[in-house]
Amino acid sequence: MGPRNLIIALLLGLALAAGIFVAIRTQAPPPEASSALVLPAPTPLPEFQLVDHRGRAVDESVFVGQWDLVFFGFTHCPDICPTTLQVLSTARAALADEGREPLPRIVLVSVDPERDTPEILGPYVEYFGEDTVGITGSLDEVTRLASDLGIFFEKRPADGDNYLVDHSAAVLLIDPDGRFSALFSGPHRVADYVHDLPIVMQGS
Amino acid sequence: MRCLVVGICILLAACGAPQPPLVASEVEITRPVPGRNMSAGFMVLTNNTDQAIRITSATSPQYEAVEIHETTIEDGIARMRALDELVVPAHGGVALRRGGKHLMLMGGGDTGATVSVQFFSDGAPVLAIEYSYPEGEE
Repeated sequence: MGPRNLIIALLLGLALAAGIFVAIRTQAPPPEASSALVLPAPTPLPEFQLVDHRGRAVDESVFVGQWDLVFFGFTHCPDICPTTLQVLSTARAALADEGREPLPRIVLVSVDPERDTPEILGPYVEYFGEDTVGITGSLDEVTRLASDLGIFFEKRPADGDNYLVDHSAAVLLIDPDGRFSALFSGPHRVADYVHDLPIVMQGS
Repeated sequence: MRCLVVGICILLAACGAPQPPLVASEVEITRPVPGRNMSAGFMVLTNNTDQAIRITSATSPQYEAVEIHETTIEDGIARMRALDELVVPAHGGVALRRGGKHLMLMGGGDTGATVSVQFFSDGAPVLAIEYSYPEGEE
């Protein structure tokens, strides 16, 4: 092999190495959600007839057009419900500070529609940010929506006329087509939402 | 805050003063969410005595009722239950934290700048705390 052929062979070798390097780089796995369980196939929501925190009638189309973080809770719950909504609200504010788009709405679906009238729900959800929605209505319709999404809730008697409601602690992510697309089962941490939401929302 | 409480205890011990039997630290009492009249209390209770202290009730002048509750999450289901008593072990502590044991304060009106809570063991007072909301908090 003459010096000229040697140079050509070296250049070819370098080009091959560069090609392999670029191929490996471009095949690097995309970032993955750390706490969200992303559904392989997003599932549409069932039909329902409920009201929002302003008393307006809403159906399943209320979830179309934006990303929604949906939590099933109730306003007579002083610990886990406000704590979860505060985590979601803080995470959304952090994403806004990072200039991320889109930002999800936060939706509280009441598992205590008997007490959570729109008048009660309105000031409650607005406390957690402007783009926060409360949904309530008939117990049957709430039950239909919840059970279709795998959300459990059950009334438990407490002292006197008082009662508590056991309920799933999960937060669901609904995509702009109104489909259940990912699940945060908790424990709910701001950092997990700030990390996972842009990945899940942009990866769809 | 824990450092401060520990510091005070060490100082009292050095001066020969008796330690308070029950001490609350890291106290936080939430303000009611607008439209609601209930809030939650979180803190660490430390028992400096040789005997367990049973807290069987609590009251607050700012609220109609105070109960000791516990939130548990099992198999993804959040449950909240009233506890009959809260036992603070001898020379030990109990943490009241979000998502766990906590005070549930019910029937509160305008809570102003401070909230007081008194703890009782079978009717006998064992601890009184006064919590001031952080400045600037609405």
